[in-house]
Amino acid sequence: MKNLKALFYWTFLLLFVSPLLAQENDGGQISGNLETNANFFVRDSLIGAANTPQYDRQLYGADAWFNLSYSNWGFDFGLRFDLFNNSNLLNPTGSYTDEGIGRWYIHKTIQKLNISVGYLYDQVGSGIIFRAFEERPLLIDNALYGARLSYDILPDWKIKVFTGRQKQQFDVYGSVIKGLSVDGYLSGGEGANWAIAPGFGAVNRTLDDASMNSLVATINTYSAEDAFVPKYNAYAFSAFNTLTAGNFTWYVEGAYKSRDNLNDPFGEFNVGDTAILVGDRLFLASGSVFYSSVSYANKGLGITLEGKRTENFDFRTRPQEQLNRGLVNFLPPMARVNTYRLNARYNAATQTLGEQAFQADIRYNYKRKLGINVNFSNINTLDKENSLLYREVYTEISYKHKRSWTLLGGVQSQRYNQEVFEFKPDAPVVETVIPYFDFLYKFDRKKSIRIEGQYMATGKDEKGVKHDYGNWLFGLVEFSIAPHWTFTASDMYNAAPGKNSPVDADTGQKLRLHYPRFDVFYTHRANRFSLSYIKQVEGVVCTGGICRLEPAFSGVRFTANSSF
Amino acid sequence: MKKLSFLFFLLAGLLWLGCEEIPPVINPSAGNENPNEPTPVEDQQRQVLIEEFTGVRCVNCPAGSAAIEGLLEIYGQRLVAISIHAGSFAPPYPESQYDFRIDEGINLLSFLGEPLGYPTAVVNRKKFDGEFDLQLGRQQWAGFIAEELLGEPQVKIDIENAYSDEDRKLEVTATLYVQETIVGEEARISVAITENDVQDLQLTPESGTPDPNYKHKHVLRDMLTNYDGNPLSEGLTAGAAIVKDYTITLPNDWIADNCQVVVFVHLAGDKKEVLQVHHAGVTE
Repeated sequence: MKNLKALFYWTFLLLFVSPLLAQENDGGQISGNLETNANFFVRDSLIGAANTPQYDRQLYGADAWFNLSYSNWGFDFGLRFDLFNNSNLLNPTGSYTDEGIGRWYIHKTIQKLNISVGYLYDQVGSGIIFRAFEERPLLIDNALYGARLSYDILPDWKIKVFTGRQKQQFDVYGSVIKGLSVDGYLSGGEGANWAIAPGFGAVNRTLDDASMNSLVATINTYSAEDAFVPKYNAYAFSAFNTLTAGNFTWYVEGAYKSRDNLNDPFGEFNVGDTAILVGDRLFLASGSVFYSSVSYANKGLGITLEGKRTENFDFRTRPQEQLNRGLVNFLPPMARVNTYRLNARYNAATQTLGEQAFQADIRYNYKRKLGINVNFSNINTLDKENSLLYREVYTEISYKHKRSWTLLGGVQSQRYNQEVFEFKPDAPVVETVIPYFDFLYKFDRKKSIRIEGQYMATGKDEKGVKHDYGNWLFGLVEFSIAPHWTFTASDMYNAAPGKNSPVDADTGQKLRLHYPRFDVFYTHRANRFSLSYIKQVEGVVCTGGICRLEPAFSGVRFTANSSF
Repeated sequence: MKKLSFLFFLLAGLLWLGCEEIPPVINPSAGNENPNEPTPVEDQQRQVLIEEFTGVRCVNCPAGSAAIEGLLEIYGQRLVAISIHAGSFAPPYPESQYDFRIDEGINLLSFLGEPLGYPTAVVNRKKFDGEFDLQLGRQQWAGFIAEELLGEPQVKIDIENAYSDEDRKLEVTATLYVQETIVGEEARISVAITENDVQDLQLTPESGTPDPNYKHKHVLRDMLTNYDGNPLSEGLTAGAAIVKDYTITLPNDWIADNCQVVVFVHLAGDKKEVLQVHHAGVTE
């Protein structure tokens, strides 16, 4: 494997470096970028930033991705070097060290045929049955290592077939994933105000023998009632369409997956005659997803309604994979993606085994001065109890006064099922109410100051104890000197500690801790650097609809991003 | 190009042919041919060590422990379990009778690597193909145990325990019968004491609050060697018999009848793999 990588590496260098050296660049184009993070870990047992290899002995960790792309002679070449040194990205409480060629690819277009080989990122429809993607903050790199052919069968119709195996850091999983999709576009012609973009996709995953043998060995430990005959192959089908008519856009997608080996983390085993044990349990089931969104946009008004029903649609390269690993598909999130610190503290991770969700978003903008946004989302379980998983009401109003200042503010309310999202049995549904504001004042064309503040008030359980960490207060001041410098200082203060807040070992009292953060950002053309001192409470970190629980962080972080 | 389009559709159709597959054979709760009683050392087969990391505050760990009990029922004497209380879920409750954490256990978690989540266990300290690290989720234990059991023991281990009720002194004699010469790798011996059925608080999904009647299994109580083993300076040469003696006085709050001595021989370089493990009751 290493030799193969080296061979491609040198082939790649020969292909694009030698023309550069020879100064005979006949129209070729080279581009690239670097992204790097370096963490210096400073142990702080009080906030829980301790007892990992980085805090205990390594003290330093780094991640880096260096990407090069070169296009010439009708080819596109890509090569990426990945580096992880004592990194906590793969496992937030562990340490991962490795480096090497993280990605390479070659694309070639021959008339209507497009050929791609290497590590490929792609998706079918909205990704419900297949999505090969990358999310660096969670170290998800689900590239498909294989080949893809696409062909323009008509001017607006394309068929695509692909096959390969999913990337697993510097290795690949054993299971084979293959599929096809047909994407089209039809419009009413010139002057018509409608168009449709229909599509169809199918994906098959064939389990490798080693994974199946492991699966069989596990099922053989089950009782006869819980045991089942696992499947090597799972087939997923999806049909989708986007209709655009005047000011309306309607997207609809329906997907079905044949019976597949699934893992239920809250599965129940019968132990003896009466006892029931709860834990990971494999089972066999078919699955389905129905997703639709309708949006209307006219002048300053925008309305979007979304609905999704998911049942047994966990689709992984092998059922042994947990949490964010080995995902073949991507189920779109059905709650607002918040950015402010406290508003974004509780996130609704997509529940692949079952949920029904609804979301409405209304935006109105008046003369680019006054803006209003109201968002409502509601997610329930699919079982008989129809329990609430997540509910959010978000309101936002913004006013822009000429070019000198902008004020934005609103209130957010959440209901968050911590028991399900964070696997914390018997944790109550966390209730929050968060008023917030964001004020931007421009002194002149270069200098500006931004101040934001949020207060999170949490509910109480039946014993009168505040949910989770209780109430929080957050404040941030950001001073910018365009185009180079930005300075920020912020603090997150546990104003009224809750059930899970740290306790003083001597007095037994809940601690009211501060979590300060200071950042300096420097930007020069396409280069951006930052240096930060961070104390960060544990929380769920999400990108898209994919989330994971991150432990507390204490230390100094340096980042560099550069494009050329 | 029309031919090419046709070819694409034909290929697409072919992908979905042959949907029928020959399924694997499932035999629930299989494997009862494995010995439940200790076998003479000369007949000893390959035996596998599973080191479970757990904690009294880990709500999902009882399910993992129950899974290990299920595996022990299937594999009998050929599977040896140690439950190590370490990590963020391991601190005891104020009302707990015991603090199951010991320095060796905490060091072992660091030595073998932090898991992505709990329940978690390490099987024979081996990094299996396709895995990120040594820590394995519950759905992977059975498969890798079955895989490891296929091998032949490179070392056979005999344990002789001499325990005195009066002074609670335990003398352990471990004899290693080397079956295969180990070249180029450092081998070490680890000796652990575990205790079964220790009743104390444990958070469980059913109880909501910690369950005071929970019986903890295979709790790592102490180690008679370093946490990462003692070097076998003699080297492992086929045909050799290496004898090692250890002594410990059992604390009064351990029930000697529930205690086991676990001896395993393992590598100590980049690879940490366990070559063979064996256990014997303190009072047997």
